Amino acid sequence: MNGANFIVQALKQKNITQVFGYPGGAIMPLYDALYDGGLNHLLCRHEQGAAMAAIGYARATGNVGVCIATSGPGATNLVTGLADALLDSIPVVAITGQVASNLIGTDAFQEVDVLGLSLSCCKHSFMVQSADQLGPIIEQAFKIATSGRPGPVLIDIPKDIQLGDAPEFTSLKVLATENNLSTPIDPSLIRQTREMIKSASKPLLYVGGGVGMANATQELRNFIQYTYIPSVCTLKGIGVIEHDSEYFMGMVGMHGSKAANFAIQECDLLIAVGARFDDRVTGKLDEFASHAKVIHLDIDAAEIDKLRLADLAITDDLKEVLPAIEIETFISAWQKHILTMKSNFANRYDHPGEAIYAPAMLRQLAEMKPADTVICSDVGQHQMWVAQHMFVDRPENHISSSGLGTMGFGIPAAVGAQVARPNDTVIAISGDGSFMMNVQELGTIKRKKLPIKILLIDNQRLGMVRQWQKLFFDGRYSETILTDNPDFVTLASAFDIPGETIVIKSQLQDALTRLLESDGPYLLHVSISEEENVWPLVPPGAANDKMMESLQ
Amino acid sequence: MKYLLIIQGENSPELLERLLRVCRHRGFRVQNINGETTENEKSLHVTLTVCSDRPVGLLSKQIEKLFGITQVAAMGQEQVIKASA
Repeated sequence: MNGANFIVQALKQKNITQVFGYPGGAIMPLYDALYDGGLNHLLCRHEQGAAMAAIGYARATGNVGVCIATSGPGATNLVTGLADALLDSIPVVAITGQVASNLIGTDAFQEVDVLGLSLSCCKHSFMVQSADQLGPIIEQAFKIATSGRPGPVLIDIPKDIQLGDAPEFTSLKVLATENNLSTPIDPSLIRQTREMIKSASKPLLYVGGGVGMANATQELRNFIQYTYIPSVCTLKGIGVIEHDSEYFMGMVGMHGSKAANFAIQECDLLIAVGARFDDRVTGKLDEFASHAKVIHLDIDAAEIDKLRLADLAITDDLKEVLPAIEIETFISAWQKHILTMKSNFANRYDHPGEAIYAPAMLRQLAEMKPADTVICSDVGQHQMWVAQHMFVDRPENHISSSGLGTMGFGIPAAVGAQVARPNDTVIAISGDGSFMMNVQELGTIKRKKLPIKILLIDNQRLGMVRQWQKLFFDGRYSETILTDNPDFVTLASAFDIPGETIVIKSQLQDALTRLLESDGPYLLHVSISEEENVWPLVPPGAANDKMMESLQ
Repeated sequence: MKYLLIIQGENSPELLERLLRVCRHRGFRVQNINGETTENEKSLHVTLTVCSDRPVGLLSKQIEKLFGITQVAAMGQEQVIKASA
């Protein structure tokens, strides 16, 4: 058995059935082993697409996503995807080929210091230096990717090690580490948490992506059902709380709901659960929830006190913490106030004229979609409209590049999600800017005949940048006008993806139905006005209650 | 503020690089560094003097997270002076 065959066997033993990648010189031995190795491999049309498909796969299932690339440019193309996975804490294992050991450091063909490159965009990375390291390193890589706060791990494997003899594959050793031993939560912390919750008159839950990643969605829902504490969520926390939960106000932050942002500023106890006080959430940090004590529950100790000092913090598993801190609350005045705000500041979908209003369209699509639909969003105005106006009831069903904000994420993420969940509807929602950033992945959709529904919202602009240019740069539209976009329906047709363009409201219902009911992939290209903006908006440097709601 | 960090880890070719990258990225300037490998290059011991306006906990907690780091102790300047007196 050679090293490459060993890698395939090891991946299979880690219950990996699907990988995404792109072949090349230094990874050819592994591709030879994949040829009849019994793993499903999906060829993406760019390594960045492979990394993002692995992310979509991981996010739609909670399992590890695996991507493979060659040395040099193959590996550098993976980097944006790995950084995306790092910022959103997604378990991904990336395998890269490297030039042969004796050529490393000689500026050989397609040689780049991938281990060095990976240091700032991976949770951890390895370079394999001998065949007998392969097993332990693969085992460690999966453990690191999935344990604690998950993240991407890269394994760089020189070509000679892939080709050389490897130990006979028996099985990977189960690593006994101290992480496996769970220590009980400090009872005094639990007691103090319960006392703080009980004595608060305006407690608020601030729920992030960590809850879903901890597999603690049900525990959080139970906590809410027990305490009736009002709640807001982050972009990555969407889907954790049922969208129609009585005191849930939706997303908080720069494009959060008015009710959520006011509630944050008014609360006297903020319970942050699997969230990290990101600048897009807090606005002006000094004024964020300035009347509140903070309880911070997060598995990553480095997040505690990083941006906001916590009055109390617990870094144990949320699955154990949340049931332990359930306590009866007496907050009816606060609950009533939340309901009043929810009603006063409810989203409105009335919109004058014939032109399609994207928020209303997305709301309509959310109501029409099958129950367990996965929504993969790209990055920009449409992403915020999706977060504000669509709804899902599982965190695995809203896949959005949140921390890194990577344009071009939506289509390859949808590829990964659809491969992972072939029986569920997957909708990719993109903008005309983002769509073009990984448009080559339409080739992957064609190759695998993936029935992805693409909703392309086209304002012929880089809309979010245009909005900021309008608001903060005197309307100087530097390089954001895309009136020379290609004909998207024709472009999609070149990949055997049927589609249509709509421009007015009266076309919507039928077109959305055709999109959802298409057997295979479909592109619904929707033209909207370039003047539409995302509201509300907390301007840079302002506190969250200083929201702009129009151009005036 | 100046801080002293005493760090131990299981050595790997890139561990020192990993450590210094985190110091720089998290906003700490390295003013002094001493280190050596022991046990036939299996372990790495490093002492760093770093300087930053940020509290040292922001750095030490990031270093503790690094795979391969086994121990981190961080001291403020005053503690260092007391310890050496």
